[in-house]
Amino acid sequence: MIQTVVYGLTIGAILYFFSVGLALTFGTMHIINFAHGMVYTLGVYLFITFLQALGESFLLALVASLLAMLPVAWVIERFVIRRLYGESLDYAIIATYGVLLIGTDAIKMIWGTTPHPVNDPIGIALPLAGMDLPLYRVGIVLSAFALYGALRAFFKRSLVGKVVVAALEDAEGVRCLGIDVNRHFSIIFVLGSALAVLGGVLYAPISTADPYMGFHILLLAFAVVIVGGMGNLNGTFLAALALGMVMAVTGRFWSQAANAMVFVVMALVILLRPREAH
Amino acid sequence: MADLITTSALTKRFHGLTAVQAVDFHVREGETTGVIGPNGSGKTTLFHLLSGFFPPTAGEIRFCGEPITALPPHRRVALGIARTFQLVSVFSSLTVWENAVLAVLRIQPEGAAPARFFLRSCRHPAVLERCAEALERVGLTAQASLPVAELSYGDKRMLEIGITLALRPRLLLLDEPLAGLSDHEIARVVKLIGEIRRQFTVVIIEHKISKILELVERLSVMNEGRLICEGSPAEVLSDPRVRECYWGKEAPAC
Repeated sequence: MIQTVVYGLTIGAILYFFSVGLALTFGTMHIINFAHGMVYTLGVYLFITFLQALGESFLLALVASLLAMLPVAWVIERFVIRRLYGESLDYAIIATYGVLLIGTDAIKMIWGTTPHPVNDPIGIALPLAGMDLPLYRVGIVLSAFALYGALRAFFKRSLVGKVVVAALEDAEGVRCLGIDVNRHFSIIFVLGSALAVLGGVLYAPISTADPYMGFHILLLAFAVVIVGGMGNLNGTFLAALALGMVMAVTGRFWSQAANAMVFVVMALVILLRPREAH
Repeated sequence: MADLITTSALTKRFHGLTAVQAVDFHVREGETTGVIGPNGSGKTTLFHLLSGFFPPTAGEIRFCGEPITALPPHRRVALGIARTFQLVSVFSSLTVWENAVLAVLRIQPEGAAPARFFLRSCRHPAVLERCAEALERVGLTAQASLPVAELSYGDKRMLEIGITLALRPRLLLLDEPLAGLSDHEIARVVKLIGEIRRQFTVVIIEHKISKILELVERLSVMNEGRLICEGSPAEVLSDPRVRECYWGKEAPAC
């Protein structure tokens, strides 16, 4: 049972890393960003390439892949996302889905379609209740909690954070104060993309890297964003961990239904959530 | 007095609907102007055009003689055009003080570090002074540390006007500042507008015409997207076109 809980929390932690960017993009810019899946996948493939080039140093390769993905995220924001501000959701879906498809095909062309395994960088197991618990997974869960704390501090203590919190509520109101909201949206977009890459890299040793890994997590992350409350940052954290647990517990008893149960929970939340009066 | 803002043949169409049609509007510096008209006559759309929230379909806007038609909202605020909204626009998830801080964020106080990342860097005396001044002006100093969600609607309206004043605008656009307020709250806001109109050029959209008659020097009347009449309140209210546009659709809520 402990293994199931740790597995659930690990999946939840990775979902959280990925979903933060989606939630912020939707909450502030009202854009459903499918390109997030491409950023996640490309980041992992760059990480694998850097890992081989930098003598298997996990940390150095992680930093290098993050740095390499920052300009990629900026280009996507500047030339795709920014043109979609204020446009209807279907334009955003088509444009960002296009980026996802193009990126995925480019990854297939460059790295091929064979899945790439990544070694556990810690490789230590903790003996617990008669089982071996990989320390790496515990580290992932702890890093998700650390990220949650860091983001809370960022939104509470930084001016950029305050502007984004205000923009989540009323972006037009922020513009009325003479603040260039788009510049802040760019910062948030790049931050969210970096967190997706971080999540992808942390997840790679648990699974394998394949060109469609972004598609899979994208659907689960949309469920997280919807259950968490569309741009609600605390809700996103709780929803990610809860849905990670749903996957793990369902997978233990009925492995084929592990992913489907996430969407059953999402549907129930949509049905049962109190509606705002209009 | 020179014109502070002028529009020429300003037009805004939404698909088949013309919300603002060939409007030539001007506001003189130091003057307080009221914009009235029945619901759906294009008043708020005119404000959206002046503040840069909608790009016009045709026509031009000039501020201090310079064209600003293509400028985004934040650039217009930097020039001195500030506005409030029909539904009060403050940030409920922040405190009253943090709302004021956001309003002075773009202002670079002398001697302050150019990059201000942390909120505590807003403890610069010039920033503190500006925030304190804004809150004092609207009587919210005691509530500075409260989350905005805990304020009454009237206090939220006062805060909205307060943070707009903290921008130190040259032109202040108030969109139905009295909407949704109790009689007591209306009296507070009318008193505040009475004070600020001596310092700023103000344009007020308002349905409660009787409440703003003593505040405005000039009234402009819109109907079906057109500016149909302008002049002193006495001239405008006795104009048969104005009576017709109200009586033909609805009586003015005085």
